[in-house]
Amino acid sequence: MDADPMSAPRPRLGVVKMASCDGCQLTLLDLDDELLALAEQVDIVEFSEASSRRSEGPYDILLVEGSVSTLEQAAEIRRLRRESRTLVTIGACAQAGGVQALRNWMELDEVAASVYANPDLIESLEHSSPVSRVVNVDAEIPGCPVSRSQIRELLAATLVGRRPQLPDEAVCLECKRRGIPCLLVTGTAPCLGPITRTGCGALCPSVGRGCFGCFGPRENVNVTSLATGGHPNADDAATRPLRPVPLFTSWARQWRDAHDATPAPSPSEAADARR
Amino acid sequence: MTDRSGASFLPRSELGSLLDALRADDRRVIGPRITAGAVLLGEVTTTAELPAGWRSDQAPGSYRLRQTDEDRTFDYGIGPGSWKQFVYPPRLAQSEASRSPEGDVTFTALTEEPPLLAFFGVRACDLAALGVLDRAVRGDDDERRRRAAALTVVVECAVAGGTCFCSALGTGPAADAGFDLALTELADGFLVRAGSDAGRAVASRIPLRPASPSELDARDAQMAATAASMRVGFAVDGLPARVRAAASSPKWDEIAERCLACGSCTLACPTCFCTSVEQHSDLTATESVAERHWDSCFTASFAAVAGGSFRPRVRDRYRQWLTHKFGTWPMQFGTLGCVGCGRCVTWCPVGIDVREELAFIAPAEAADVAVVAPTAAAPAAEAARSAVAPPAAVQVAEPPAAAEVAEAPPGMDLLPVTWPFAPARVVWSAAETADVTTLRLEVEDPAIRAGAPGQFVMAALPGFPPSAISISRYHPDGIELTVRSAGPATTALGSLRAGAQLGLRGPLGRPWPLEAAEGRDVLIVAGGIGLAPLRPVIDAIKSDPGRFGRMHICYGAKTPADRLYIGETMRLRKCRCADVAETVDKPDDDWAGQVGLVTCLLDEADWRMDHVVAFVCGPERMMQAVVSTLVERGAPRDRIFLTLERHMECGVGLCGHCQTGPFFVCRDGPVFSLAELDGVFGVEGI
Repeated sequence: MDADPMSAPRPRLGVVKMASCDGCQLTLLDLDDELLALAEQVDIVEFSEASSRRSEGPYDILLVEGSVSTLEQAAEIRRLRRESRTLVTIGACAQAGGVQALRNWMELDEVAASVYANPDLIESLEHSSPVSRVVNVDAEIPGCPVSRSQIRELLAATLVGRRPQLPDEAVCLECKRRGIPCLLVTGTAPCLGPITRTGCGALCPSVGRGCFGCFGPRENVNVTSLATGGHPNADDAATRPLRPVPLFTSWARQWRDAHDATPAPSPSEAADARR
Repeated sequence: MTDRSGASFLPRSELGSLLDALRADDRRVIGPRITAGAVLLGEVTTTAELPAGWRSDQAPGSYRLRQTDEDRTFDYGIGPGSWKQFVYPPRLAQSEASRSPEGDVTFTALTEEPPLLAFFGVRACDLAALGVLDRAVRGDDDERRRRAAALTVVVECAVAGGTCFCSALGTGPAADAGFDLALTELADGFLVRAGSDAGRAVASRIPLRPASPSELDARDAQMAATAASMRVGFAVDGLPARVRAAASSPKWDEIAERCLACGSCTLACPTCFCTSVEQHSDLTATESVAERHWDSCFTASFAAVAGGSFRPRVRDRYRQWLTHKFGTWPMQFGTLGCVGCGRCVTWCPVGIDVREELAFIAPAEAADVAVVAPTAAAPAAEAARSAVAPPAAVQVAEPPAAAEVAEAPPGMDLLPVTWPFAPARVVWSAAETADVTTLRLEVEDPAIRAGAPGQFVMAALPGFPPSAISISRYHPDGIELTVRSAGPATTALGSLRAGAQLGLRGPLGRPWPLEAAEGRDVLIVAGGIGLAPLRPVIDAIKSDPGRFGRMHICYGAKTPADRLYIGETMRLRKCRCADVAETVDKPDDDWAGQVGLVTCLLDEADWRMDHVVAFVCGPERMMQAVVSTLVERGAPRDRIFLTLERHMECGVGLCGHCQTGPFFVCRDGPVFSLAELDGVFGVEGI
């Protein structure tokens, strides 16, 4: 049981990316001193944002950033899954499709034509998908980007063999613990805190800006009540919900369902809402 | 009416002298300050920092500050933060654990000297709230010391906010006891009353003159006017019983459509005390810190056990919160859990108004009885200061003998909180089944060795959350724990080998009432791992057979390989100490015994059940089936005992996780009689 730790092979850690901005990998680099401690505990064999040294599997722990947007990525993630004992996604792209999933509501050709001079050269899947749509994942770290403390908690828990403590409660609890007056109640800003999963430490509300949902939906969300200010059943135009949560993490399942269940506002309703 | 003796007057221009007097002796003054668009509580050093001239317009889900040209200092109402944050901090490092290279495990309680504070501007409702909180967390040493280190300066409200309803609950707007100093703001200054020696000492250092009769009359008029301006909208008389009776109302679904389950109401509440503990460990789990933080019954994880959450739906959570505040809190603590401060109404992002919901869910009836109003705060600084915190000194006075309180179940006594974990060492470990292990432990703490059958311990390893494990056998020098690997923490416990160390806290909970079984036949019904907490009962009966009648044991398991203590049940049969009947859901090729649920063993029993005492432990659905069979066969409900499994973190009724109806399962149970669990056992979402 007490083998010499130096002689035991250290777990092999890989960090790879799909369609993403690399910001979550940068959060891993932000671990600073703890990165050195991590390097003593694991062999970091693949981490493109940190080193040009390339390696192959197998991986004891593989962190995957980004959504699956191309056929190549779909094939690669299947290969990586086979080579990984524990596969954990990091960030909103990998968990819910990311900002690039906003195109999922549109026709691919239309989007490609609006962006690229030669859309014919673009080869892409119809949808930008969460990694979990393609392979089984062992855990998902939410966030855009992920939080340092949650990355740290995941690695510590995985190395020890315990379940990572990744709370799925609303941001509101953290605002209350930090003594931040509710932005909705003080009329300071619209805020998605009540339907958004915690993990950021209530960063935006702490500087007077509304939560815009970086960490995705919390469990058991009530989007309609939030969108109608507590009148989910009112049928007058003034309180009828507009299409809620048209934000960059909207492809996340619970929010997408709420979005799709609500008819799009008419042009005049939308104009009224903007006023 | 104001006590005419001893009230003094402080001119408005001298308010600064009071701040200075409070700040003497390195005491920091915490008071109202405008921050981020609201009046928050923070350090105050001069009167210029106070929100003079400001008012707040409050309504369900809405708070707006408004400046006036008045020079009055304290008409701003109450802000989002309560004094709870200073006596029961939102985050608190509680203990440290470390593992030496040799495998020795050390647990250290982290105690910090509480800061010397003066709470300046405590409203009457918030004073009552501190008293309610004191009672609810009376086992918590940290809260007691923080309270004792703080002076309490009350300011009575001349203006009620739009969501205030303290007048309905008798907690305000006037404050008559429980403070060190109380101020009432009049036109030109402040009426000052001292409520303790410490308060009188502060008063002696500021330029006071005796109050005039007209000033005293002005206070009375002001209090009456403030009280009269509040909108209540629900009937307080008989409220606890009405709320409890509404448990199965379909109206909860209607509220749940609006409720965000964001938890804002619970954390804004000055008396909600539920917490969770997070383990922060380094990458190798040789060092870890357990940090307590405010939690809420509105989160899914709050009532979760390995198999899922007991309150998956928002309606279950809202019902738990409202029923606890107004229905079961009086049974637990002798007061309501609400003081009428209105924070849950103002700070609900969608403006759910508890006053309206109470009227909706529990409308008044004619034959209502008087409610137990929250008592004034426990004598704050003075009582706590008078003794250096022996638990008995702060044990609150018994609540008034009202009908609500008389319902309090047994076992509600103050339990000693033993921190930190006591070390124990594994002597041997034995695999019972594929996922169940028995650990024989050598235990230094004599209290744990002297526990009773049915009690449990919190078992901890560095880096893992402590697990509640029932004691499966007592030895002169230790105990046995039988652990099922249901998650990482229990898996880590189950994989300990001889020589390994762990930490224990206990013995906890109410044991099986062996005295109720004296002279009677005893029926033991167990399912799966449920045999573990019953094994000490079997041991006790076996060692003192003259005290009891016949022992019947009915044991069910999923498969033959999932049965615990196989050799022991065989020996029990052989020595004729007990009738042992076993059944499995899924037989293997070698199984020649009974197949089916454990109730089939009861169906076939040819002995009378109307005079047995039954001890039942197993999965909740199995216990429901067993209980209904026993009741059908004539077993009286007060002689059927069962043990509930709930999420537990503290084990002593502080963290709130295991609440089930009026009970803290960890403290009031886990063993209950069926009669006690009326309206609780088998009810979905409770």
